[in-house]
Amino acid sequence: MHSSIASVHFICSNYFYKMDNDNLELSPQQSLQLIESMINRAKDKFAEGGFMYLLWGWAVFFLSLTQFVLLHFFQYTYHYIVWMVSWVIVIYQLVHTRKKYKKQKVHTYTDYIIGYIWLTFVVLIFLLGFLIGRLTSGEYYTYIVPIVLALYGMPIFLTGIIMRFKPLIIGGIGCWMLCIITTFIHIYDYQFLMIPLAMLIAWIIPGYLLRAKYKSQ
Amino acid sequence: MFKDLDPILHSQLRLAVMSLLISVKEAEFIFIKEKTNSTAGNLSVQIQKLKEAGYIEVTKDFKDNYPNTTCKITKQGIAAFEDYVKALQEYLKVGQKK
Repeated sequence: MHSSIASVHFICSNYFYKMDNDNLELSPQQSLQLIESMINRAKDKFAEGGFMYLLWGWAVFFLSLTQFVLLHFFQYTYHYIVWMVSWVIVIYQLVHTRKKYKKQKVHTYTDYIIGYIWLTFVVLIFLLGFLIGRLTSGEYYTYIVPIVLALYGMPIFLTGIIMRFKPLIIGGIGCWMLCIITTFIHIYDYQFLMIPLAMLIAWIIPGYLLRAKYKSQ
Repeated sequence: MFKDLDPILHSQLRLAVMSLLISVKEAEFIFIKEKTNSTAGNLSVQIQKLKEAGYIEVTKDFKDNYPNTTCKITKQGIAAFEDYVKALQEYLKVGQKK
């Protein structure tokens, strides 16, 4: 077993030292080994440093807590106004993502698909806000927390599956469980406390774990 | 009878480049150079050959005021790569039967 691993290693390392010598005759076996090792080399980079999860996790954590304080302690009618701050974060993130995209030397299909999952999520969040406002009369806000939590779980769960990163998978499932729990909380104000909790388990904790994994590479 | 192995792909560096590009959406020249441990001169020549065969798409632009080359596999390249792997598998099957 060890000798076969050693010989594969020897053959592979020979490729990289002699890659410039194009006259070397390749056997079918060597060709397949070369293909396999190059595909593995392309995959071995873990590109996500957790920045987006920490940025949005902490932002939504504090914004939703502020909203709860305004609603519960001050009975402020326009408590939802705090979410206007998220536009600033959207702009900051767009600039950051653009910079990161330009810096990357390689763009993988994984990054590409994950990018579109998050874009779908953003579109759905805005559509949902629009639809609930349009279709329900006045009492819409009493349903918003469980619906938003159901949606929050989707990109987190899918990203976890694609990246094979368990904390995100658990976080996504956690959001869905919180979504069901929320429907049993009859005092509407307290439902808002489920959002910071969801941020903690689905975005902030996985975000720090992602960062640790990225730095350990 | 054996399928002929595509001479464009049956070369170490070109095969390495194609194997890298088949697993990513697109990659910069510098990334390919790092991963294949090749020299810039030889890599340029091989990339040009792959481009002429229609297997890869090469775009040149500027990044931080420096010229930047990005490579991406084409549909034709994917088909050629798949045929090449199938042909290799046939060779290996025959080898095992012996």
